[in-house]
Amino acid sequence: MITACSDIPYWNPKNETMPRAALRALQLAKLGRLCEWAAARSPFHRRRFAAARFTPAQLRTLDDIRRIPIMTREEWMESQAEAPPYGDLLAASPTNAIRYHITSGSSGRTPIRVLDSTRDWEWGAEMWGYALWATGIRPTDVVYFAFGYGSFIGFWGAHYGCEKIGALVIPGGAQSTANRVRQIVETGATTVLTTPTYALRLAQEAAELGVDLARQSRVDKLIVSGEPGGSIASVKRRLEAAWGARCLDVAGMTEIGTVVMYECAERPGGMHVIEDNVLEETLHPETGEPVGYEERAERVVTSFGRGFIPLIRYRTRDMVVKVPHTRCTCGRNTDIYAGGILGRWDDMKLVRGTNVYQRSVEQIVREYDAIDEFQIRLWRKDDLRDEITVRVEVKAEREPEWEGLRESLAAALGAAHEGLRFDVEAVPRGSLPRFELKAKRLVDERGATAPRGSDREEP
Amino acid sequence: MTDVDLLGRPLASVEQQVLELYEKTKALAARDDLPPCLARNLGRVLACLWQVTNDLDLQFEQTYDLGV
Repeated sequence: MITACSDIPYWNPKNETMPRAALRALQLAKLGRLCEWAAARSPFHRRRFAAARFTPAQLRTLDDIRRIPIMTREEWMESQAEAPPYGDLLAASPTNAIRYHITSGSSGRTPIRVLDSTRDWEWGAEMWGYALWATGIRPTDVVYFAFGYGSFIGFWGAHYGCEKIGALVIPGGAQSTANRVRQIVETGATTVLTTPTYALRLAQEAAELGVDLARQSRVDKLIVSGEPGGSIASVKRRLEAAWGARCLDVAGMTEIGTVVMYECAERPGGMHVIEDNVLEETLHPETGEPVGYEERAERVVTSFGRGFIPLIRYRTRDMVVKVPHTRCTCGRNTDIYAGGILGRWDDMKLVRGTNVYQRSVEQIVREYDAIDEFQIRLWRKDDLRDEITVRVEVKAEREPEWEGLRESLAAALGAAHEGLRFDVEAVPRGSLPRFELKAKRLVDERGATAPRGSDREEP
Repeated sequence: MTDVDLLGRPLASVEQQVLELYEKTKALAARDDLPPCLARNLGRVLACLWQVTNDLDLQFEQTYDLGV
């Protein structure tokens, strides 16, 4: 019986529980075949392999992966620009494709264009199967997608992954936030998939509509992705209180075509990597040397899925700390990124010699329940001195608390940033931008030049 | 057809059956005399069977030359 498997905790018990040594051997077997395919069929990879004097036959152990040059987004973009629209990375004719998607473009750069064949799309949905089964979604669930269903790949794969699981899927595209709140309640949705930012927005809208999601909806699982918020403790707490549901984080990349890590129902404080389908290296962001467990590193990923666009040693710029699978009690053999994606190595901002990340500011701001929305503004005073201002929207009923809140928040932010002075100012409610995908809450107005008297350059 | 998986382990009975289905579907999908309803649906079946056999470590190959 198809539903009889619901009690099995793993989507793919064979691979998710095999010994680590076997998992590594499987990765090596797949890596060799992938590189043979890429060398034979992708001009992009053939050229790069030749320049590095690399041949797939050299792959005798996983350590030999270091013979392969790192692949960057910039190289991919150059390839697209020189041979539009897809570049010479493709390993098969575009006529095999059934899907076209693009990266979100949230960084302001030209989006990457990707194609998927029928099989690639099936694989993408399968990865969501691994992830969503681990979060606890089962065929009896009713899953609501608060997602725009556009060219950005977003939750498209999750939609098909839930269909594959056998859950009832409710596509909540192209409608107002208020309508989505009503649909979630009316349909008896048990699970909502969206970004952490939009999950907060839905909760705010529900409150304005007089809907208590924790009492009036059946939602018991909130699966968030697309931003680091789902692994930020204060954001998670706030979401769980507003929804009366467990909040679980999952993460993927358009470049890979799907999700590659997830927080299982045991919630080990991080996300398991789907290691039978991707090979994740953790490297020092400057030297490129391998970094061990418990140390900050950059993710470099090789995908064993989409063969259309072989992704081999792709530099993500994601900041992670890998810890062993034994950190979790779920029984899976896959290693974990503690705290999820901690930020991006290229998103660090330097303010008067102190490193500032949007994520670390958000972690503190979200401890303050009186604040609905916020924005970080970096600016330069008199063309001389870098300043950082956190603009906040305070809930109407909490405005009397403002003065105390301002002092407390400024002190907490400073204490977490080597004593850096933060200005905190209140702005009118509704004046800050709202986001559905890829919230961008840091605005850097300082321009390209370093301030006079600065002895450090902006990275 | 192989009787071991990618790691050289003997196949269980259900794995052998799934692999046979995959190989038979692949052979059918390679034909060029099929009507659209058969060709396109076989492609989808093949994609699913590729996924299952990949999950079970029975093969790791590309199917683009079959249009899948």
